[in-house]
Amino acid sequence: MRFGCRNLTFTYPGVKTPVLDHLSFSMAAPGFNAVFGPSGVGKTSFARLVAGGGQVDDMAETLELDGINTILYSYNQERLPGWSATGSHLDKICPKGNQELKAELIRIFEVGPVLGSRFSQLSMGQQNRMNLIRYLIQDFDLLIMDESLANVDESLRGQILLSIKERFPDKLFLYISHNLSEVARFCKDILILGRSATWRGGRVVRGLDEVADPEGTHCRPNRDRLDRAMLEIMNAV
Amino acid sequence: MLFRRIYQFLIVYCLGVGLLLGVKYAAGLSDYVIPGPDLIAKTARAMASIYFFDGLNTLSVTILGQMISIAMAFSVGILGRKSSWAGSFIKVMAYNIQAYPIVALAPIIFILLGDGFLSRLLIASMICYFPLLLSVLGIMASPVKDIEHFYLATGRMRWQLEVKIRAFENLSKLITVISGSATLAMAGTIVAEFIAADAGIGYSIRIALYQSDLAKILTALFMIGILISVYQGLLETVGAQVKTKWSAPLGGELI
Repeated sequence: MRFGCRNLTFTYPGVKTPVLDHLSFSMAAPGFNAVFGPSGVGKTSFARLVAGGGQVDDMAETLELDGINTILYSYNQERLPGWSATGSHLDKICPKGNQELKAELIRIFEVGPVLGSRFSQLSMGQQNRMNLIRYLIQDFDLLIMDESLANVDESLRGQILLSIKERFPDKLFLYISHNLSEVARFCKDILILGRSATWRGGRVVRGLDEVADPEGTHCRPNRDRLDRAMLEIMNAV
Repeated sequence: MLFRRIYQFLIVYCLGVGLLLGVKYAAGLSDYVIPGPDLIAKTARAMASIYFFDGLNTLSVTILGQMISIAMAFSVGILGRKSSWAGSFIKVMAYNIQAYPIVALAPIIFILLGDGFLSRLLIASMICYFPLLLSVLGIMASPVKDIEHFYLATGRMRWQLEVKIRAFENLSKLITVISGSATLAMAGTIVAEFIAADAGIGYSIRIALYQSDLAKILTALFMIGILISVYQGLLETVGAQVKTKWSAPLGGELI
C-alpha cells in the first residue's frame, strides 16, 4: 500500500490563488497518518479531493493510491438521521461480518448507554464517537478523519486513537486535527500544509507513532522525543 | 393549537364586525347598507344551520382538492428534485405558472367542465398546487449534506432515503406549508362556487350578494372562518403529533 501525490494544484472557482499549490508528498501506508496545518491552508480541501469530492482534471494521475480502493471521508459535523435510535441506525448500516467489531467499538468508544437515544439527544462528543463508529465498521482502505473526534475529551480521545491503531493495522488513516501534541504522539507520517510559499507544496514529518502497551493501557510518551517532534512540526508550519 | 386558531379567528372577526358597525354608526348608515347587531344576530340564527352545511360542503371539496394537490406536489417535487433536465424544466415551469393568477383560469374550467363538483375540485387543487409544489421542490432539491454524506460515501443512498432525510429535516416547514395551503384551497373552492357552481358556501354568498344582504354574508363569513380555523388547527395538531413522534426522546442514558 502506498499513498502520495504529485503536483496537486487546486483552485476554487472564482478565486485566483490556489488553495493547494503543486503539493507533492509520499507517505507510509498502511498506518495512522495525519494532515496538519493552521486553519485555511487547505486540509479539508485536500481531504475532499482525495475522497473524490472535488474536480481536478488529472486526479487519477496526480494521486498515488497503490492498494487503496475504498476511501471514506468523515468529519465532525456529520449527523445521523433523527427518526430512530442511534443503536438501531448502527444495526442497519453495519455490514454482516462486522457485528463483532461494532460491539467492540461501542464498548471502547463508551457509547453503549446511549444506543437507545436519538442522535440529537447526545452530547457533541458522543455524536462524534457515534459517527466515527459507523465509518469504522464499513469496509475501507483509507479513512480520512477530519476533526472527527474534535469534541471528545483528551483522555478518551487518546484511548480511541490507540484502539483504532491496534484494531486496524492494515488500513490507512489520515487524521486531520489542530491538536499538535496529539498529532505528534499518535501519528506515523504527518503531512504539513503551511501558509508560507516554502511549505505550500507540503512536507512530511515523522511523528512518534505511539501505540498501546501490551496490556492495552496508555504508555507515557517520552517528553524529549515528543518535544522534538512537535518542534519539527511547528518549524514546518 | 386548535383553540388558538379558533380564538384568533374570533378576535379578528369581532374586530371586523365592530369596525363595520363603527362605520355604520359614524356615518349614520341604514340597516339596508350595514345591518345592526340585532339584524345580524337574527339572520345568524336563521341561516346558521344552512350555512354550516354549505360550509361543510365547501370544506369537503377543499380537503379533497388539497389532498390531490399534496399528492401531486410531492410526486412532482420528488421527481423534479434532481438538477437534471427534467428537474430544471419542472422548476422553471412551476415558477412561471406560480406567477400567473390561476383563479383567472376559472372561467375556462367552467366552460369546459360545466358547473359542479369537478370544476370546484379542480380550481381548489390548482390554486394550492403551485405554492405547494414550489415549497416541496425547494425542500427536496436542497441536500442535507451533514446527514447524506455518509450514505453517499458508502453507496447506500436510495431515492426513498434521500426523500425521507429531506422531509424529516424540514418537517416543520412542510407542516406549515401544508397547513397554509388549506386557506388557498378554501379560497379556490369559494371563488369557484362564487363564479358558477351550484352548491357550497360561495354559492350562498353569491345569492346573498344578489339580495344585498350583508347580514347573510357576515354569517357565511363566520362559518367559513370557523370551519377553516378548525381544519387548520387539526392539520397543525396532527403535524405536531407527527413531529413529536419522530423527535421525542427515546430514552437511553447520557454519559
